[in-house]
Amino acid sequence: MKGAVNQKRLMVIGLDCLPPDLVFNKLDLPHLRRLMKSGVYGELRSTIPPITVPAWISMTTGKDPGELGLYGFRNRKEGGYGWFIANSQDVKESTLWDVLGKNGKNVIVSGVPLTYPPKPVNGCLISDFMTPSASSSFTYPAALKEEVLQLEPDYSFDVKEFRTEDRERVLRQIYAMTEQHFRVSKHLLAKYPWDFFMMVEIGPDRLHHAFWKYQDPLHRSYAAGSPFENAVRDYYIYLDKKVGELLEIAGNDTSILVVSDHGAQRMDGGVAINEWLIQQGYLVLKKTPGKVIPLEDAEVDWKKTKVWGAGGYYARLFVNVRGREAEGIVSNDEVEPLLSEISRKLIELKDPQGNRMSNTVYRPREIYKNVTGSAPDLIVYLGNLLWRSIGSVGHNSVFVSDNDIGPDDANHAPDGIFILREPQGLWGDAKGYIGRKKIYDIVPLVCRMMNIPWTV
Amino acid sequence: MDGLVIWLTGLPAAGKTTLAVRVLESLRSRGLKAEHLDGDELRKTLSQGLGFSREDRDKHIMRVGFVCRLLSRNGVVAIVSAISPYRATRDQVRKSVRKFIEVYVKCPLEVCEKRDPKGLYKKAREGKIPQVTGVNDPYEEPLDPELTLETEKETIGACVDKILKYCDHVNVISTSIYTPEEEKKLKERLSSLGYLE
Repeated sequence: MKGAVNQKRLMVIGLDCLPPDLVFNKLDLPHLRRLMKSGVYGELRSTIPPITVPAWISMTTGKDPGELGLYGFRNRKEGGYGWFIANSQDVKESTLWDVLGKNGKNVIVSGVPLTYPPKPVNGCLISDFMTPSASSSFTYPAALKEEVLQLEPDYSFDVKEFRTEDRERVLRQIYAMTEQHFRVSKHLLAKYPWDFFMMVEIGPDRLHHAFWKYQDPLHRSYAAGSPFENAVRDYYIYLDKKVGELLEIAGNDTSILVVSDHGAQRMDGGVAINEWLIQQGYLVLKKTPGKVIPLEDAEVDWKKTKVWGAGGYYARLFVNVRGREAEGIVSNDEVEPLLSEISRKLIELKDPQGNRMSNTVYRPREIYKNVTGSAPDLIVYLGNLLWRSIGSVGHNSVFVSDNDIGPDDANHAPDGIFILREPQGLWGDAKGYIGRKKIYDIVPLVCRMMNIPWTV
Repeated sequence: MDGLVIWLTGLPAAGKTTLAVRVLESLRSRGLKAEHLDGDELRKTLSQGLGFSREDRDKHIMRVGFVCRLLSRNGVVAIVSAISPYRATRDQVRKSVRKFIEVYVKCPLEVCEKRDPKGLYKKAREGKIPQVTGVNDPYEEPLDPELTLETEKETIGACVDKILKYCDHVNVISTSIYTPEEEKKLKERLSSLGYLE
């Protein structure tokens, strides 16, 4: 009987930003390697956009960003030009742990993005890196907080002061944070009953952003022989050991799913998207700023502005539509030709060396099942996501080097990973590499594994 | 912080009370002081003895409006669910408070009749009660409400969301779960990580 119960138990180890190439090909990670041999693995195609928010919550609700109405950490307030930062209360769909809990399964959830503030679960939950601090109410049940703090008095949710040249300190913080997260997870696994466990470790993402250039010869700032040349490799080896510790607790009867929400790759530079829109005459400022400032702080002449953009790992463009935006000027009839014109120009955009950038432009209505919230009118991947979108103005140039945006070496890539070990062969009988799956495949998979009916 | 009045108006069974209760819960869970004033409930206390003539209806609404004024000037969000059928009376209440959000809870009469949780429409059609709004008493739709919610077409959650986001958008209340200081730090952190550039 015990065996039967254990077969329905699932441990999901989420490792933010893990790219396939490092895990599958380049690094020697014995615990993950063993899982790959005994189970199946492959690339996991992320959401569009491949960003922590919305990727994890899409993975755990089965809903795309359009259905969720969440297109990134920050999202536009309806009708206005302002933004709000997403949190758990903006997630209106049921998550895996909600549904499993309703079906009587005991759950343990730790660090999954968009779980702050904590909502009730059938088990326990520790919120994610969007938690302001350890003095916030970050657990369900609330009393669990004291237990966590007794175990880890300096429990941290994220790396502090990330953009600093003191890389040594950043690295120490990443290790300390990861150690805390795994220690707390092991404690919860040992103390509380569970059928479903899911943790997300944000450490690898922070590691990539801070240390990618030291190990990627294709990175424009790569210099062989840096003291940090092996920082990524060493952390991965450490992380693999931590995964091994969880696998030991899980035992052989528990199904295991190791996943990442997106991948990572080098960053070639930034495209100041609003500077480009100004240059093209779509965005008009009343006054040219004398220094680099966020667009929100600039004097935008909305009565003359047709389109404005936002930065991040991808570009979001919004048309200033009459009747939709507070000071909209573009009529509904003009929207479609305008979007086509801008899309064409972006696809033809050339980098500073005169090479076409390989930009991709998406329309939310064409890629999502439904479009809710304040969706961008265009989603743009710049240079296959090797270039970042910079929303600030005052650069006096469309292309921005890393000196302007601080030390950050990596961008996100559309493919993350999955490694699955489960006895039922739900993704086929073959072992080893089985090709690419989609982030939306996770919910149906988990439901079948846990024998829970769920229509996405 | 100044309070405000969120005034939900519409036909009987349009969904006013359901929405009001949900908005109340959401605001309280964000640590805001909020009260729900339900028209039907207040007829048992504040407006006991008043009937459904135009004059009595106006008296009732002005009394509710008066309580709203007291609450809102003391920093409380007053959420009213009341048919409040007359435009002029609603406008009078609007003028009496500093911040007023009129929410038209719109639903076709036939749908309201089907819902009819209190059996009002049925009794009105059977001639058992006079002066039921929508059947034998007028309802004057708002001409320029801050929000119109079509409860026949939208889910309760979506309607509640619209009310909260409207309040946030016009900066009447902050529906953020973060304090201003927390939000500032979080934005700095997300910005340093490249998410908000």
